Amino acid sequence: MLEKYASSLVCLLVVLSLGCDRPENDRQVEEVVAKTIVAVGDSLTAGYGVNIDESYPALLEEKLRQAGYAYQVINAGVSGETSSGTLSRLDWVLTLNPDAVILTIGANDGLRAIDPDLVEANLRQIIEQLQQRDIVVIFAGMKMVANLGPGYVSRFNRIYPSLAREYDIAFYPFFLDGVAMQSAYNLVDGIHPNAAGYQIIADNIYPVVVEAITGGQGQ
Amino acid sequence: MKWRLIFRDIVHSRSQATVFVLCVALSLVCIVAINSFRNDVRQAIIGDARALHGGDVIVHSHYADSPGLAEALEEILAEEGVDSLRTWEFYSVVRRADGTESLLAGITAVEAGYPLYGQVELLSGGSLATVLQPGQVVVAAAVLERLGLDQGDQLLLGQGSFTIADVISRESHRPVDFFNFGPRILLAADDLPGTELVQGSSRVHYQTLLRLADERRIDEVAALLQARAIPGQERVATYATAGSNIKRFFDNLFFFLSLVAVFTMLLAGIGMQSSLAALLRGKERSMAIFRALGATSAFLLRHYLLLVLVLATAGAVIGIGGGLLLERLFLNLFAALLPENVVVSASLVDILEGLGLGLAVVAFFTLLPLASIREVKPTAVFNKSAVRRRNSRERVILLACGTFLLGGLVIRQLADLQVGLSLMAGILVLVVSIALLTSLLLFLLARLPEPPLALRQAIRSLLRPGNATRSIVATLASAFSVLLAIYLLQDNLQRNYIQAYPPNAPNLFCLDIQKDQREGFLRLVGEDVELFPVIRARLTAINDRKIDPETRPERRGDSLTREFNLSYRDDLQGDEEVIAGGTLYQPGRPNPQAQVSVLDYVAKLGKIEVGDRLLFNIQGVPLTAEVSSIRSRTGSMLYPFFYFLFPEQFLQAAPQTFFAALAVEPETVSALENRIVNAFPNISTINVSQTAAELGEMVNRLAVIVAFLASFAILAGALILVSSVLATRLERIREVVHYKVLGAGSGFVIRVFFFENLLLALFSAGSAVLAGQAAAWGLCRFLLEVPYHPELVATLGFALAMVGMVVALGLLSSVGIIRRRPALYLHEL
Repeated sequence: MLEKYASSLVCLLVVLSLGCDRPENDRQVEEVVAKTIVAVGDSLTAGYGVNIDESYPALLEEKLRQAGYAYQVINAGVSGETSSGTLSRLDWVLTLNPDAVILTIGANDGLRAIDPDLVEANLRQIIEQLQQRDIVVIFAGMKMVANLGPGYVSRFNRIYPSLAREYDIAFYPFFLDGVAMQSAYNLVDGIHPNAAGYQIIADNIYPVVVEAITGGQGQ
Repeated sequence: MKWRLIFRDIVHSRSQATVFVLCVALSLVCIVAINSFRNDVRQAIIGDARALHGGDVIVHSHYADSPGLAEALEEILAEEGVDSLRTWEFYSVVRRADGTESLLAGITAVEAGYPLYGQVELLSGGSLATVLQPGQVVVAAAVLERLGLDQGDQLLLGQGSFTIADVISRESHRPVDFFNFGPRILLAADDLPGTELVQGSSRVHYQTLLRLADERRIDEVAALLQARAIPGQERVATYATAGSNIKRFFDNLFFFLSLVAVFTMLLAGIGMQSSLAALLRGKERSMAIFRALGATSAFLLRHYLLLVLVLATAGAVIGIGGGLLLERLFLNLFAALLPENVVVSASLVDILEGLGLGLAVVAFFTLLPLASIREVKPTAVFNKSAVRRRNSRERVILLACGTFLLGGLVIRQLADLQVGLSLMAGILVLVVSIALLTSLLLFLLARLPEPPLALRQAIRSLLRPGNATRSIVATLASAFSVLLAIYLLQDNLQRNYIQAYPPNAPNLFCLDIQKDQREGFLRLVGEDVELFPVIRARLTAINDRKIDPETRPERRGDSLTREFNLSYRDDLQGDEEVIAGGTLYQPGRPNPQAQVSVLDYVAKLGKIEVGDRLLFNIQGVPLTAEVSSIRSRTGSMLYPFFYFLFPEQFLQAAPQTFFAALAVEPETVSALENRIVNAFPNISTINVSQTAAELGEMVNRLAVIVAFLASFAILAGALILVSSVLATRLERIREVVHYKVLGAGSGFVIRVFFFENLLLALFSAGSAVLAGQAAAWGLCRFLLEVPYHPELVATLGFALAMVGMVVALGLLSSVGIIRRRPALYLHEL
């Protein structure tokens, strides 16, 4: 019975997401939107501490549209999420029918010192499930803070390049490149990017995304 | 001659004089005791706050000090009387020397002299300074339990290997972050470079703690450092401004203690006023004779002023003696219950201040009764007519001056102009309300259809012109409402803070439990553990109005634009109640219209009301829901709660993780953590057993003080109340004589008096319950900002006790006279 409710809710939400409950101007945009990119991740994707319009998915969508790419970028970031959480909610992400997924997950696993083998296994399953559905995967890597200790950090940092090579997916080696540990680009907590930090991230990841969605063919 | 007259007057009205002296003495005892106690507790709490934050001035940053701040720090440290030390806090994975087990731990590297305030207690009983030598660490017990290590074993931290020298048993300064992902390890700062853990790509919380010999410079030094710090990167706080979870509790505790002192002052004042008024009313005939013999009203005023001064001095001497005696009693009775660092001592300053306050109260509350001396008209007294000038200009001016004086005292006592003024305004409104209510009740009483004779006589007596019914009811109701308000405030503070730390409060939290891990997790920890679903989402619009990030409404630094945790369940949690909307969800609503119950905190933040439509973005998927109810909660921060709650059907399919709050025997927490992490490596455990126990212990110790002072004030207030009743009832004795002369039997007289006292008691208790509840609600709601519970059963108990007391005292004071022959009294009258 509950499953029935649940599936009807999913249907309902999908219908809503297609425009029934959207503001008028969004609907107009959607008429020309051909494809969907879903940004999946943790607070770094969700835009913890900044307006959602200042988070990197919003900035990326703007850049893509300015360049003439008819893509919407949905922010499906969840603050505090670990790779286990992402794996669990992948079905929900898939209800958005993405053409591409930017996967930026693992920072919370690292900060909580979760076993890198588990993180790798989760990421592996996520990538495989996305690839099975012919979804373009854009994989953003994470590097762990040095205070966790060299043993843990080296095991953790190896995960991302190795998986990218193994699955031959578009890879942006370090999501916080040029932003991490720079006080000018982070909130006062020193770990979450501020609006200026997100601008850098969006600028940096943009060519990788374009390359991935066009298959290296340009527009 | 003058002194003999005063002496004779006092002897003649010894009952009222005794009550007056008693009230002055009690008020002084209360004020001296509470003020001196409050100062002691304040010192102790300031000590606790310093120990909690580790310094007078605290500089935080996630980056090494900027050149400007470093320079400013150097300048300040060069001054005399400034000590400082630095700490580095970060998480790291520590390992057993054999590399088999590892654990995330909260590391603090500290410079010599740590901590500046408070202490780190070690299991061995040794001092940190001697134990924390190079190459050694001290660790929380959980580190040993989780890694299977013992004292003396080696622990790998970064590139270094350290000997576990001791175990931390208690630490007054700890990271203010309540939820720690790992147990604590203290390391000497000199060993930090060897670990290679603090480098450019490390996430470290840098802290500089300062201790200033001259307390008065704390704010100045903080401001100086703040001016040179990089805004948004480097934060400078003082122990008094640094945010901590218990600061609000401290603030509320102080405020409550101040209120108790103010209320006691008012109570005592009411007692003085009523006893003096009774005394003077008893003297009206002598005053009239004096006037008839040519004495001026100024002479009478001087005479009674002197009499009041004599009585007040006697009261003051007894009060201070009693205060000092009580202080000894405090010390013996409560030594074991008080926080270790509270030293009970009444200083000369406390005594003098109490004396000053007490005498000011005497001045205010005796002003009006004394002023009435000038209104005594011999002819009116001899004719027994009850003509009195009311609301004369003089009286109004006196009242205004008195109110001004009292306002000044209240503000002085509360040390806050705005709060003091609001409180005065509130008190005025309550007094006026009580007076109006009494008039209304008397008006209704006069229109009662023919009651039995005894009751009719009682009503007539109450309504008789010149009878002090109104002032008696106002006096009793004010006194009782103050007592009730103190009780209710104390009860609500206890409920909100103290009961928030029950012995079975959760001490282990588990985050990130996945849907498919639920069964396995429950098998491991026990089937009775509740799992709370957590769905992360943003609120994007209220009634189609997009939440504008530019005009984000903020409350205590919170904002509607952040991500929220949603959850689903079909019933309220034990510590929640619906405050708007009737039921959690509205039954019979057609699907698929989603409903959502909103917590009052966020409802206020977003001005959300029942019936509003909220649009959520659940990780990319929108969901519209109508607000079905607003909830409020009374539980502590230790219990999980959710701002937005949905019926299960609407969120069951949404991506979710589960959260568990477990109450585990403290000694088995570490073992359980190990079992959980081994079985489910993705689940993070947060062990708060030590923090919760320490916080709970501190709050409980303070609770004892709150309860004690409240009971003391209530007891003293009850004595004053008894005195007031006696004082006003003594006047009524002459009524008995009239009845007896007219041939009434004792039974009839007792019945009349019973009804009269009962009506008075009911009026007073009724008005007092309304006023006391309104006062306590207002104070909780607006000043203490805690949810309010009216405690109706206790209120009823209070009211019944008051009715019983008024009736019993009223009858008792008449019984002796009823039994005797009226002729004796007729002579005296």
